[in-house]
Amino acid sequence: MATSLARAPVGIELRVVGAVGPTALTRRLAELGLRVGAHVRCVQKTAGGGRIVDVAGSRIALGRDVLDAVQTVPTHPAQPAEATPS
Amino acid sequence: MTTVPAVPRSAPASCHDDGAPLAAPVGAPLVVLAGAPNVGKSTLFNALTGARRTVGNWPGTTVEVGRGGWLVEGRVADVVDLPGSYSLDPLSPDEALTRAVVLAEGPDRPDVVVVVASAAHLARSLYLVAQVRETALPVVVALTMGDVAERRGIQVDAGALAAALGCPVVALDPRRRSGVDGLVEAVGACLSGGVAVPRLVPPAPSQGPDELAAADERFGWIDTAVTASVSAQVMTRRTWSDRIDRFAAAPVLGPLLFLGVMWVVFQATTTLAVPLQDALDALVSGPVSSAGGWLVDTVGLGQTPVRGLVVDGVIAGVGMLLTFVPLMALMFLLLALLEDSGYMARAAVVTDRMMSRLGLPGRAFLPIVVGFGCNVPAVSATRILPNARHRVLTALLVPFTSCSARLTVYVLLATTFFPAHAGTVVFAMYLVSILLVVLVGLGLRATLWRTVGADPLVIDLPPYQRPTLRLSLSVTWLRLQGFLRTASGIIVATVVVVWLLQSIPVGAGSFGDVPVSQSLYAELSRAVAPLLSPAGFGQWEAVSALLVGFVAKEAVISSWAQTYALAEPASSHDPGALGAQLHETFTVASGGHTGAAVAAFMVFLLAYTPCVATLAAQRRELGTRWTVFGVGLQLVVAWTLAVLVFQVGRVFW
Repeated sequence: MATSLARAPVGIELRVVGAVGPTALTRRLAELGLRVGAHVRCVQKTAGGGRIVDVAGSRIALGRDVLDAVQTVPTHPAQPAEATPS
Repeated sequence: MTTVPAVPRSAPASCHDDGAPLAAPVGAPLVVLAGAPNVGKSTLFNALTGARRTVGNWPGTTVEVGRGGWLVEGRVADVVDLPGSYSLDPLSPDEALTRAVVLAEGPDRPDVVVVVASAAHLARSLYLVAQVRETALPVVVALTMGDVAERRGIQVDAGALAAALGCPVVALDPRRRSGVDGLVEAVGACLSGGVAVPRLVPPAPSQGPDELAAADERFGWIDTAVTASVSAQVMTRRTWSDRIDRFAAAPVLGPLLFLGVMWVVFQATTTLAVPLQDALDALVSGPVSSAGGWLVDTVGLGQTPVRGLVVDGVIAGVGMLLTFVPLMALMFLLLALLEDSGYMARAAVVTDRMMSRLGLPGRAFLPIVVGFGCNVPAVSATRILPNARHRVLTALLVPFTSCSARLTVYVLLATTFFPAHAGTVVFAMYLVSILLVVLVGLGLRATLWRTVGADPLVIDLPPYQRPTLRLSLSVTWLRLQGFLRTASGIIVATVVVVWLLQSIPVGAGSFGDVPVSQSLYAELSRAVAPLLSPAGFGQWEAVSALLVGFVAKEAVISSWAQTYALAEPASSHDPGALGAQLHETFTVASGGHTGAAVAAFMVFLLAYTPCVATLAAQRRELGTRWTVFGVGLQLVVAWTLAVLVFQVGRVFW
């Protein structure tokens, strides 16, 4: 089951399986490394409902609506795949 | 897509509209520096050009670029430092400029494109390389941040990367100025060499019909290059930056820390700068004015209008300009330190939600807070906004923040007319000010910028680093120079014009020796006064103070003292004889509704043009057209609100 970055648990490694939204936004996310197949990790929650995401070693702050647009699955299915309320 | 005018090659250093000194000879080869944000592009630019550079708006735009001369193997190249951009597909005017300059044809075509790429974030830095390599432009990749990459266990093989990209790759560290020689060599070779072979045949148009397929092809090409050149890629552990961000970006602590930082900036621009301002002011109005007067007397012009022109015109004008120098220097230095340390990106994150309601990104909060101290550095602080449209909107809102110069006038009027509630009245003015910022912001967003939604928050957080003082000082100096160069003319000219108007007699009296009430200045105030009758203060004594207030709000009280031929009150808390005179003026003007007229006057004073120095700063940041628009907007808001306050208020007072 894919979960959005907004609902994915913090701290575990995830794989991006899809991104929806305006082309300009998905293109910018792809330029920053957030594209299908990329491995990412939510680092922490931020003020204003956003999160900091680890993408290939760099930290990117994303707003709530952007997080909703990115769908992920856990890289290691052994880890809990349940969505946690954010 | 936003279109951006290219600049003719014959004007290499015309980033300033007042014509900065030429840094590179006409017809010099054009080298452009492009690259993603936070890869050390501007640091590299500083290292290459040293003192031979200018920073200013690209002609016809509000996009800031650096431009300067760079000595490459015996000849001076014209280097342009473009705004940070991840690709040639623009999302903002700044990125549109990057595209326009890189892809310019004809005489403006760049001779070499240097793409600055970070070894720590290689894949992300290479998208721009992939796109530029689709053209026939010679490309050199400057690989920065090798030290950061190494600390994370990443090693980049520059040779393998060059082979994969099909263009020279030079590893360098602009912060320590190492490896720059290699860049000189590579760029020199490109300049004497021929045309580059595009990596795709036929080259894929970057705005073609199948854009997604083109992007996929580029990502594939990048992956191949990264795999070939990067030896170890580890998922990073928790870094120091992560530990700091546990507080700096956290839901509750983050905003609190941000407020603390704001408080420091605000204190610095008020408490710390004010004594310096006062000292400079005392120096200019005291010894410097006496010396100037003495000099004029010595050459035998003491009895002529020249004395007034020199002492009350030119020296007073230059003095006013000088008093802003410590304030601006402090402001620019603090901003440079905040940016260089990496904190500014975090501030943008924690304030994003609140500011997005006005269609502004989080960091727009900073100039608005600074505005409550002084509008002039606040307008310049809009430089921290990467998007030019946000910069325009913020710089138009800043003048509605009530600066400390306006406070002195509120206090005088409040203690004179509402002695029992003076504190409440002054506090109310600040509430009105905040309300005006919000309402005008919403209004502009609903009309002028309807198409500009709040950008979704996507911010790259650079690792925290110890700010380099040398870099921060050099940025401060550069910006201060820019401010002085563009602001000095308008400020001095306005002070001289006001002096001139006050010196020209209407009817009796001779030039330079006339009571204010019989000068051309008073005559003009009388002519304007009827326009303000609906607001309840259409008397020339009140209007003339507003005319002076256009130059500087600090001058309002002293101008009243002049108008009524009284000594200036020792303190604005104790209006003395001036209070009685003001009472009479406002009572006569309002037909007895004194309270309503004074309230209307205070609201007008809050909302119209703050001072000529703010206009000069706006003109520098936004250009003349937006500045004129801003003046008009403020006058309309001020007049409408003042009339509203008086007409409603007279029912009660």
